[in-house]
Amino acid sequence: MAQQTPVRPLGAPGDGAMIDEDWEALRFRVHRSAYREPGVFAEEIARIWGHTWLYLGHETEIPKAGDFKTRTLGGRPLIFCRDADGEVRVFFNSCTHRGTVLCRHSEGNTKFFQCFYHAWAFSNSGELAALPGDDAYPDDPAFRASMALRQVPRLQIHEGFVFIAFDPDVPDLLTHLGPAAHYMSLTAKIGERGMTTLPGVQLYSVKGNWKLAVENAMDGYHFAPTHNTFVGYLRETGFAVTDDDQYAYDLGGGHGLLVLTGHNGRIGMVWEPRFGEEEKERTAVKRRELEARLGPELAAEVADASRILFVFPNLLLFDLEALTIRQLEPVAADRTDVRAWQFVEVGEPESVRALRIKTMVSFVGPGGLATPDDIEAYEAVQRGIVATADAADPAHDWSDMSRGMANEKQGNQGRSIDEGAMRSFWRQWAHVVGASTSVAGAPPAGAPASGPAAAEAGE
Amino acid sequence: MSAVTAGNGSRGGVVKVESREVTRAEVEEFLYREAQLLDEWRLDEWFTLFEPDGRLEVPTTDWAGWDATTAGYFVADDYELIRARVKRLKSRKAHAENPHSRTHRMVSNVILLEAGAETVWITANFVIHRYRDGGAYTYVGRYEHVLKVEPDGLRFRVRRAVPVMESMDPGARLSFIL
Ligand code: FES
Ligand SMILES: [Fe+2]
Repeated sequence: MAQQTPVRPLGAPGDGAMIDEDWEALRFRVHRSAYREPGVFAEEIARIWGHTWLYLGHETEIPKAGDFKTRTLGGRPLIFCRDADGEVRVFFNSCTHRGTVLCRHSEGNTKFFQCFYHAWAFSNSGELAALPGDDAYPDDPAFRASMALRQVPRLQIHEGFVFIAFDPDVPDLLTHLGPAAHYMSLTAKIGERGMTTLPGVQLYSVKGNWKLAVENAMDGYHFAPTHNTFVGYLRETGFAVTDDDQYAYDLGGGHGLLVLTGHNGRIGMVWEPRFGEEEKERTAVKRRELEARLGPELAAEVADASRILFVFPNLLLFDLEALTIRQLEPVAADRTDVRAWQFVEVGEPESVRALRIKTMVSFVGPGGLATPDDIEAYEAVQRGIVATADAADPAHDWSDMSRGMANEKQGNQGRSIDEGAMRSFWRQWAHVVGASTSVAGAPPAGAPASGPAAAEAGE
Repeated sequence: MSAVTAGNGSRGGVVKVESREVTRAEVEEFLYREAQLLDEWRLDEWFTLFEPDGRLEVPTTDWAGWDATTAGYFVADDYELIRARVKRLKSRKAHAENPHSRTHRMVSNVILLEAGAETVWITANFVIHRYRDGGAYTYVGRYEHVLKVEPDGLRFRVRRAVPVMESMDPGARLSFIL
């Protein structure tokens, strides 16, 4: 069989690795079964979704006592609510009697969740409040207590972002987030009076593996070719997009960050002509407000560059154009549910809010001028990668992510138009899922910079 | 712009604006013609159906009447963005629609809700079948349009397509005109 590429041959994952990293050949490959195999998917749900902090939602989605949303995470139906005392609670959405989905509405406000099957009712803090025909049950408060709604084992909130874990033994949330916590805080500091999610949630599904959505977000290389028409639109409105000064950072723990300048403008932060003259003035005022409130360094960090933050495994914060929170929910190896919220400044004028929404949804979301091409790209990957399954030459069944490895080997700051952010993601993925990795040659000695500040300090 | 609500404007499928009468038949003709232009991907002609300052809106599937200044949307285009969208969709580089989807629209249940001085508010139901890459998708919803009544016909002031699905199904991204 002809070996077409000058690389060490690797077989199928059964006798080889899922990830092939070679620092001599400057090669990084991911075996395509990682996107395809139901077995891999089951491992991910068990090992990642079952044992890691997951982004559930934002506190501002349930502002008032009694507010609730129902949402599925890692395949488990949940109730995300604020109880009568104002405390955020997350329950498994399953009646403790016989398991019926307790709340079948997607959102609302209630003091009690009542199961329609046998009419048990639970308070919004989880106690069993009504038990029809309770004379047939043990006359014992411990029985009722044992039938309280099941809460998720762990719940912690960082800057209003609510995370949960189905494993009680996960480390503290801030430990899990590491440097990513800081970048979440930056987004939370934008509004003088805070930030809030808006109603009007973009709910959509893609015919692609969830990791393809992560890769796409951490991939500056695709921007110019995939978003050719969007780049054209920006040019026509007077903004020249560039690939300069776009960097990628490995924040550890699978979290990744792209820092982008010259990518496009942002409402209230970086003006561009299509935002109009009124917004130009407001941006200058806003910049001064940020500086007065946060000091020059933090203000510069918040305002002067756009960012895409990935918090392993299911949260993406797009702080470009304006802010979008995107959550990934894997449904099957080849299907992902996506939920996206617009995250806005509290109390901004209506004209600014309208501009922000228009600008945001013109780019992001399934109806925008850019996201549909991203979705097309990763759905096309999902369709294409079956071609080489069980290929006559097993060396064909790999996806290449080696772009920029020479640069990485020299210890230089990774660029967003390289594939370094994806490589860090895949290394962490393999570690958590327990997939085997083949490493040849000597990886770079120094630890990668975990953010722009760390990069500067290291210079 | 508030949501279109059921009014008492229409009697026998006719409403009167200041300048003239508008019949349901005229509105139906306008909507059928639009559906044909979109199904045939004649987007430049479709764009002429908007008045200058017209808007194109698609609210999200959790929509509860919020307008595009207070809530997230799928599409919230002003006139210039509609123009940009048309230009994009005509490009070979609009990868999400290259090749184009095959679409097939059915419009029915046309109701004339209310007449203003120069506009008529209408609602209609739509079913759009879309085929691409071996996939078949169905979009079901209603139109809530504000139409400017011109001497020679109708133009969109607000063209709003409200999906009634619970979410956009796998593959059902809105890379075409809903
Ligand atoms: S299953 Fe809920 S009350 Fe019986
Ligand atoms: Fe993209």
